[in-house]
Amino acid sequence: MKVRDVIIRDISAVFEDETVENFVVMCAKQLRSGLPVVDEDMVVIGFISESDIINATVPSYFSLLQSTSFLPDTHQLVSRFARIKDKKVSEFMSTPPITVREDDSLMHAADLLIRRRMKSIPVVDSYGRLVGFVTRMQILRGAMEKRWEV
Amino acid sequence: MRVLTVTLNPALDRELILPNFAINKLHRLRNPSDSVMTPGGKGINVSMILDSMGISNVAMGILAGYVGRIVEEELRRLHPDITLNFVYTDGETRENITVIDPMNDTITEINSPGPLVSERELEIFYKRYLMTLPRVELVVISGSAPPGVDEGYCLKLVKAAKSKGKVVFMESIGPFFDRVLQKDCPQVVRADLRKEKRVLGHELKEFQDYVELAKEIRRLGAKAVVLSYKIVSDVVATEEGVWKFTIKDHVEVSHLLGTGDAFVAGMVYAVLKSLSYYEVLKYGMAAAIAEIRHLRKSELSIEDIERELQSFDIERIE
Repeated sequence: MKVRDVIIRDISAVFEDETVENFVVMCAKQLRSGLPVVDEDMVVIGFISESDIINATVPSYFSLLQSTSFLPDTHQLVSRFARIKDKKVSEFMSTPPITVREDDSLMHAADLLIRRRMKSIPVVDSYGRLVGFVTRMQILRGAMEKRWEV
Repeated sequence: MRVLTVTLNPALDRELILPNFAINKLHRLRNPSDSVMTPGGKGINVSMILDSMGISNVAMGILAGYVGRIVEEELRRLHPDITLNFVYTDGETRENITVIDPMNDTITEINSPGPLVSERELEIFYKRYLMTLPRVELVVISGSAPPGVDEGYCLKLVKAAKSKGKVVFMESIGPFFDRVLQKDCPQVVRADLRKEKRVLGHELKEFQDYVELAKEIRRLGAKAVVLSYKIVSDVVATEEGVWKFTIKDHVEVSHLLGTGDAFVAGMVYAVLKSLSYYEVLKYGMAAAIAEIRHLRKSELSIEDIERELQSFDIERIE
C-alpha cells in the first residue's frame, strides 16, 4: 500500500508569520493536532503541533522532575501562554519538516509517525508543495480495509 | 489541481422526498433513502460534479462549527479526491432544506443566511486563496456571501485571479455580483435567477429584457453569459451573438435541483478543453440536461453530458 491510498487531500496550513494564537484557534476549530507551516509557494518548511506549544508553556525544569502533581497550580500555564500567543509560529515549529510523498510506502509513513512521535505527516509533491496529510488512524483504517480485500 | 472553486457560504443540504407535501400537516418519511444529507453550496456542488467527471479540483470556503465539520467530513467521504482548503469561523454553517414533492412536481426550499464572518477570517481566507491560485488554471466563484462579507470582497477575489491570468467563472446574484460585473467582469457569467430577477438594476420581465441584459454583461467584458429563462430555456451570449437554448423534452420541476451547478461544471470542462465559448455554452446546457435526468443532485460523467448535446433546440436571436 502507498501513501496515496490513505491520503487526506487537505491543504490547510499556517504561514510562518502567523501567530501562535491563530494556530491554536485553527487547530481547535478543525480538530487538528498540528499543521504544516508553508511558504508563499505552499512549500512545506516546518510543522507545528500542539505538543510544541505545550512544551513552550511548561517550565523547562519540569523535565527534570519525575512527577509534577505535587506542585501547586500557580497559573503558570496561563501566564506563559499569554506571553507566547502573539509570537510567530516560526519560533516554535519543528524544522526541517518530516514529509512523505504520495508514492512512498505506507510502512515508511507508519515508521516515521512512530519514530518521530507524530500524529500526522504532511504529504508533498515533487516540488515540496503541500498536497495533503496522513494520520495514524488513516494508516490503520487503510490496513484494515486492505485486509478484507486480501 | 486544475480548478479552484470558492464557496463563501457553504451549506449542509438536506433533501427530503415527501409526496403530497403540504404545510400544517404531519409528514412521515417512508424510508431512510427519502432523507439525504449532502455537502452543499454552489461552488462545492460544482467541485463534486467536476470530481465525478475526473477533473481534479480544490474546494475553498468558510465553514463553521459542528455543521461545518459535517460538511467537510461528508465531502471527504463522498469525494476523497477533491482537495480541501477551508477556513473556519465562529457560529454554525447554514443548513439548506429542500422538500421535493414528486407527486405535485414541486420543490420547496428553506435556506438560512450562514455564520457571521469576521474581518480577520476573511484576511486569512484571502491569504490562502492567493497561495492556491498559482496551482490552478481556472477559478469558479459561486453562490451567496455570508453576513460580514462586504460587496468589495468578491471583487477582490476576481481581480486577484484575473491578474494571475486565470479564467474566472462567476455565478451569483445581488449587489456584490453587480459590482463585480461592473468593475472587473469575469470571463464566464451565469446569473442565479431563482429567487430574484434583477441584475445591474434591470428587472427581467419580457424575453427581450434577458437579451438586452446578456448583451450588457457581454459589453462589460464577459466572453460567455448565461441567463436562465422560464425553466426550459436559457438566453446565452458570446462575442459572436445571442442565442436561445431550449430543452426538447418535458421538464419535471422537481428534477431541477443542481442544474445550475451542472451547467457551470459542463462549461468548465469545455473551457479546459479549449473549445470556443459557443461550444462552452452548449456543453453547459448539455450538462444541465444530464442533471435533469436525475431527481437529486448527482454525479455526471463526460459521456452523460456529450449524450445530451443534441437534446436542445438552438435559436439564434442576434
